Amino acid sequence: MTSLLTAEGLCKSFGKTNALDGAGISIREGEVVAIMGPSGSGKSTLLHCLAGILPPDSGTVTYRGRDLTAMNDGDRSELRRTEFGFVFQFGQLVPELTCLENVALPLRLSGVKRRDAERAAKEWMARLEVDAVADQRPGETSGGQGQRVAVARALVTSPKVVFADEPTGALDSLNGERVMHLLTTAARETGAAVVLVTHEPRVAAYSDREVVVRDGRSRDVEFVR
Amino acid sequence: MNRVLSDLALGVRLAVGGSRKSWVRLLLQGAGIGMCVAVLLLAASIPTAFGNRDQRGDARNLVEEGTGAAPLLLENGSVAYRSYFVSGAYVRAVVADAPKPPGVERLPGDNEIIVSPRLADLLASPEGELLRPRFPQEVIGTFAPEGMDGPQDLRFLAGDSKIQPNDGNQVYAFGHGYPGGGLPTILLMLSIVGAVVLLFPVLVFVSVATRLAAAQRDRRLAALRLVGAGATRVRLIASGEALAGAVVGLVVGFGLLFALRPLADDIPLPEVAVFPSDLTPTLPLTLVVVVSVPVLAVLTSVFAMRRTIVEPLGVVREQKPVRRRLWWRIVPALAGAALLASQFGKFGGQAKPEEWPIIAGVVLLMFAVPALLPWLVERAVHRLSGVTPALQLAVRRLQLDAGTAARVVGGVAVVLAGTVTLQVILAGVENDVKAEDARAVNRNSLSVSVNETTPLPDLPDVLARTPGVVAVHSLQRVWAATPDNDNTTIAVGTCAALKTVVDLADCTDGKAYLVPTGHGFRDPEAGDVLRFEQTGDTWTVPPLERRTGTRLGIFVTPAAAGNLDLTRAHAEIQAEMDMTRPDVAEHVRNALAPYSWRVYTVFFGQDNSSEVEQVFLAVRRALYGAALLTLLLAGASLLVVGLEQVRERRRPLAVMAASGVPRGTLARSLVWQNAIPLVISTVVSVGTGVLLGVLVTRSFDAEVHYDWAGIGFVTGISVGMVVLVTALTLPSLRRATGALGLRTE
Amino acid sequence: MSIGHALLGLLEGGPRHGYDLKRAYDERFGHDRPLHYGQVYSTLSRLLKNGLVSEAGVEAGDGPERKRYAITDAGVTDVERWLGTPEKPEPYLQNTLYAKVVLALLSGRSATEVLDAQRSAHLTAMRELTRRKTDGDLADQLICDFALFHLEADLRWLELTAARLDKLAEEVAR
Repeated sequence: MTSLLTAEGLCKSFGKTNALDGAGISIREGEVVAIMGPSGSGKSTLLHCLAGILPPDSGTVTYRGRDLTAMNDGDRSELRRTEFGFVFQFGQLVPELTCLENVALPLRLSGVKRRDAERAAKEWMARLEVDAVADQRPGETSGGQGQRVAVARALVTSPKVVFADEPTGALDSLNGERVMHLLTTAARETGAAVVLVTHEPRVAAYSDREVVVRDGRSRDVEFVR
Repeated sequence: MNRVLSDLALGVRLAVGGSRKSWVRLLLQGAGIGMCVAVLLLAASIPTAFGNRDQRGDARNLVEEGTGAAPLLLENGSVAYRSYFVSGAYVRAVVADAPKPPGVERLPGDNEIIVSPRLADLLASPEGELLRPRFPQEVIGTFAPEGMDGPQDLRFLAGDSKIQPNDGNQVYAFGHGYPGGGLPTILLMLSIVGAVVLLFPVLVFVSVATRLAAAQRDRRLAALRLVGAGATRVRLIASGEALAGAVVGLVVGFGLLFALRPLADDIPLPEVAVFPSDLTPTLPLTLVVVVSVPVLAVLTSVFAMRRTIVEPLGVVREQKPVRRRLWWRIVPALAGAALLASQFGKFGGQAKPEEWPIIAGVVLLMFAVPALLPWLVERAVHRLSGVTPALQLAVRRLQLDAGTAARVVGGVAVVLAGTVTLQVILAGVENDVKAEDARAVNRNSLSVSVNETTPLPDLPDVLARTPGVVAVHSLQRVWAATPDNDNTTIAVGTCAALKTVVDLADCTDGKAYLVPTGHGFRDPEAGDVLRFEQTGDTWTVPPLERRTGTRLGIFVTPAAAGNLDLTRAHAEIQAEMDMTRPDVAEHVRNALAPYSWRVYTVFFGQDNSSEVEQVFLAVRRALYGAALLTLLLAGASLLVVGLEQVRERRRPLAVMAASGVPRGTLARSLVWQNAIPLVISTVVSVGTGVLLGVLVTRSFDAEVHYDWAGIGFVTGISVGMVVLVTALTLPSLRRATGALGLRTE
Repeated sequence: MSIGHALLGLLEGGPRHGYDLKRAYDERFGHDRPLHYGQVYSTLSRLLKNGLVSEAGVEAGDGPERKRYAITDAGVTDVERWLGTPEKPEPYLQNTLYAKVVLALLSGRSATEVLDAQRSAHLTAMRELTRRKTDGDLADQLICDFALFHLEADLRWLELTAARLDKLAEEVAR
């Protein structure tokens, strides 16, 4: 199967620290890939570069034949909005909006009418078993509910890739497993690839394969060999 | 008690101790509160300044009753020079130790003069060239400050041995207080409204300044609770922090006052310029400032914490805010409007104005703005559901916390409302003055009144011989009482003489005219029977034609005078001048200089409108300056609050940017977030301002005028400022939305 | 834990006597369970029979047999295959994994690859368990979770060791 998202020779440094030092990775359509590695190994930086949030100092990121590193900020923003979805460890929901509005937000940003956006959002919330908190604000929900709302928001645009950075980092095992189960199940059903950054083996076990990042270099079975 | 003190001390140490950040915050607070304190102290000095001025005026008043022969003879010799007015007197000491007015070392002898420093400057300058001939005396000194109203006073005291005693010039002593006096009512109102308008935001900003960096402080206090401090103690500690800022602010404020004081000398408006030493806050008001600022600071910081009563884990879950109630918020507005409305037209006459209802009304209406704003913003935002995501983000944010934004913008709104009020009042006053002035221009005669006690039979000849004088007319003027016990004047003269003071196109002997008073006064009408108090005679008013003119009252041609007794009439000579000669009026006045105090001249042809314009321009500039300063203060607080909000919301903002929300959308939501309260507050404050202005103006029964250009100007500035502040928060938004914002701290 | 592979790995550094081999083994791996001579010689004779080691001469002198053994090419290949083959993930296999890492370091091979291969094997097992868990009932879930948590502990050890490889290499080289 061909590669959907490929990164080659990524280098990125923050000041004197080299976060990435020639990392590469290849993501195929619909697969769940766990990026593992010790803290400070550059996992998150790799994810940020892959998703076009952070421009690398050198190297290329190719998504369906388009070079992300050559795109301007506006185009990358649009790509992230339309093709990608995001789940972070915490603090990703807009505290002022209700959960339903949070989930509908990406659709609204793409110009979908409010009513249609909220209908789609409601369906996704039901799939992630959080339709009960639709009208509450994120501050009023539990951590697990909040993460599932975030997953719904990441999936509502039917993205091709969902980037999840320690999505269960702030949750206990049971809630974490539930989030992972719902995330991977939903992603598999819609054919979305998932790039999962985690340092928890049990979370990584929800993936199809893993890529290890160490000292800014990644060991990707698919890619390096 | 010890516990309380040690908790307060801990708060103070948290405020001053530790990082550079806490120092910066303390300095910001100190600067903000300091500016406010300086303004408050200046305001607290006003009673001293004007009280001292009144006292000096009273000390100068003449005591005209006494026994025996008066030790001093004094004739008023005030003269007009172009648009200047020089007050002064001619004196003759009858005995060696004659009383002397304050501020002079000795009485001037014959041909000696004492002048105020400002008059000395004027006489020495090219501008005073044509004034010099009127003061040929030898200058023997200048007035000390206690002899003058203010540093810009034009005043003289000259000796003249030719003064003969008569009924009106006997002086036994100086120093006599009269009740009343002080500022003219409309000026008083202007200053009261001005003070309220400028002081109110100051109070708002004391509270805003106290809340600077509040989020950071909340986190710090949360940490304190985590180690076991109770809610009460945390409140005390927070009070200690607020106290530290307030104390620094007080010190800065007193420093600013003493630094700015010397500038009071140079204020170009003689009516406003005060001696620096007069700018001393009164003790009671100083105490009020010194006590109320820290108390206000502590109260706001404690009050602001009531919802976020700092929990051990810091961030309190944000809950649905309580709905704001309208009823108590609308009370001040209604009460204020009612109070002002009750005073409509009561200021028309000479009646001593009732000030308190107006002041209370103004204060209440001003308070209504910040009281109503949060409710209005909440209501308005409630209706908005957000058409675009940017608008939705802003609206939801405002729904969750309309208070903060409304409070800060409310500060701007009060300034705006107050400025608009002052502008409306000012426009009314200015229009009045200008209308009066417009009546006066295009006159070409100098009116010369003769001191009643000294007949000057050769005066008309002297005038006629003076170069520049085209013709000399005389008018006879008598005073009479109307049926309502008002006074009016009747002037008798030929058509040519009348034409010098009244606008007459077709005058024939036998006609009578009226120049009406306006302002709701009742003017005499044909058929009214006027009475002369001294003789008891009466005179029936003939049919009158209404005209405009430089003097008010009835003007009759000789044939229409009828039985009018002119034996006690007062002579007024009108010298018609060739207006093509530059400064002709001053030249003619100089020709009359030898008569010094025996004649009093009025020249209506002097085009004062540019001066009037300048005075109003100066007043307006001062107003704009003060408003701008306050707006800047508001802008600074707005900026701090804006930056804080971005900081606080750094993570969601960064996540949104990462998920592909365009920065433009986020920026627009920030703009909306400030713009919605801004638009509402602008509408409310311009509305309140115009309403207040109209109400106050109507209380004086003056005509209402709108200075739309000025209103537009200040509105534009406040709108521009909020836009600018929003623009200044955008770089921090940019930083927050960078991928670095995603990194956990 | 395969003593044969361990001895082979030790022989890669150069030919040794049986006695030397026992001492080296005990020093490195036998802290709580030293080898018996009999074990060493029976293992060596099995390796000799399979052609993985060869006799490299007998030292003169009295006392016990002073035969020197050397590793053959087949032996080297065998060690390599062993190191490259991850252990079947099961609890308590650290001892073997540890030996593998040390021997990889001793022989200049990549210990990281050993660890990564093991991690991969562990994750594959965990994936299988996770799949079974999601498809199964509560009893399945609990049983799978038990195994998952143990495997996770192994994986954490792997991570930890990977992070300390540099230090370990220093100590081993001494």
